[in-house]
Formats: sequence, C-alpha cells, structure tokens
Amino acid sequence: MSSAIQDYFEGKIDFVGQQRVDEIARIWLFSFTALSFALGFALHSLKISFMLLGSSTVVLCAIVLPAWPMYNKHPVKWLPALKPSGGGTNKSQ
Amino acid sequence: MHSFFTRVNNVSALLSSCTMALLAAITIASLLQEAIYPPQIQGEISMKPVKVFHAKAPRQRRRQEMGFLNFNMTADLTPLFTWNTKQLFLSLEAEYENAQGVNNTIVLWDRIVRRPEDARVNVIGAKNKYAFKEIGGQGFGKGAISGASYALKFNLMPYVGMLRYGEAARISDVPFDVREEL
Repeated sequence: MSSAIQDYFEGKIDFVGQQRVDEIARIWLFSFTALSFALGFALHSLKISFMLLGSSTVVLCAIVLPAWPMYNKHPVKWLPALKPSGGGTNKSQ
Repeated sequence: MHSFFTRVNNVSALLSSCTMALLAAITIASLLQEAIYPPQIQGEISMKPVKVFHAKAPRQRRRQEMGFLNFNMTADLTPLFTWNTKQLFLSLEAEYENAQGVNNTIVLWDRIVRRPEDARVNVIGAKNKYAFKEIGGQGFGKGAISGASYALKFNLMPYVGMLRYGEAARISDVPFDVREEL
C-alpha cells in the first residue's frame, strides 16, 4: 500500500516521455519569454510581461510536472531473465 | 526528468534562466531607446533674492545664519517615464563657493515622483524643505558669498538597469539678501 503511494508521488515516466517533457519545457519557456518581452514592449507595461511569463509557467507546470499516462506509452522492454549459470565468473552489480 | 522532483528542478532552473534573459532584454531595450530617442525635458526656475536671517532653529545650540528661499518652478518630466521607470527623485540643489573658496552643494527641496501623471512640476512660492545653513562655515552674511546657482536635478530609478542622473532646470547668480537680526 505504502509503496503504491510512494510510486504515485515519485511520478516516474519512461525515456521517450522524458525526452518529450524536456522538449516541451524548453520550447514553451523560450517562446513565452520572447512573447512576453514583445508584448510588454508593445503595450509599454512591465506588469504584462511578467504576468504573461508567470501564468504560462503555471500552465507549463500542469502539463509537464505530473506523470501523465501519455508520457508512459513507451515502457522499457526488459529482456527475459537468463538462467543462473553454475560456477565461473559471477559479475555482481 | 525521471521523477517528479527532477522535473520540478529542471523546469525551475530553466525558468530562472529565462527570467534573467528577459531582464537583460529589457535593460538593453531601455538603453537603446534612450540612445536613439533621448528624452527632451524642459524646465524653468525663478527665484527672489534669498533672505538670510541670523536665527536659531529648535534643538540647535547656537544662533546661525540661515537662508530662506521663495521660488517658482515649472518642469515637464513626462518624457522620462518609460515602461522601465520605477520612480523619479527630484531635488533642488544650491551650488555656491563660500568665503574660503570651497565649492558647496546643498539639497534644499526634493520630491519623489512615482507616476507619469505627477511628472509635471508646478510649484509657486515654494520654500526650502531643508534648512539652508553653512555647517562649519562663515555663513552668508556681510557679502561673504556673492550668489548661488540653483539647479533642479533628477535621478531616474529604473526597474532594471543603471540609475540615470540629469538636470532639468537651472538659474544662476541668485544673490543673498542679508537681513538684520530678527
């Protein structure tokens, strides 16, 4: 029971999902920074710049931080376990 | 990015870098704007001769000569308010050379302007806010100092960037009118 809660809070996502999350975060923040500078400059208000940046960050957190199922669509394919061989060298992890 | 906390870490680091880049962009834009379109400000001061009395202010040990101003001042400082201006600090400063040949500058009146609507200065018959006395000097009397120049100086405080200083108005050689003891 507690391990299920722990897994839920850990929020693991697979490797393809991690790549996606990285891309989304970078592209989102770069474009919204440029947009908030342009909008603030055009409308002559620093407040608008920072409010746009802040609200876009909140939306980004909702998209990227929780472990949504779409980031878990490509789980790692583990190979089947090898039978343990008697004697010889034992490579320990 | 494998767990919730590493994602929080990465996103917050990226956000700080982007915020720094935004602040740098705002600073550079302000610098370029000021270089390409320098603000044109004008102002005027008119002043009667400064009355000098030998008097003692409260909580002061001895009697000392003090100057009393009576001035009119107009200035239009609205071009200074850009999107990057936090506030303007205006000060009326007196500059004179005393009997020992030392140049002195003393702030006699100041005002903080926070909104572009308040950027038009129009004072009539104003008095100095701070005492006009020569601390440790010989005073203004008996023709020791021929006259002083008064300048309205401003200090522009931006949200991001360097502080800017400038002068909006100036009047030179205002004489001192030394009165006898009260």
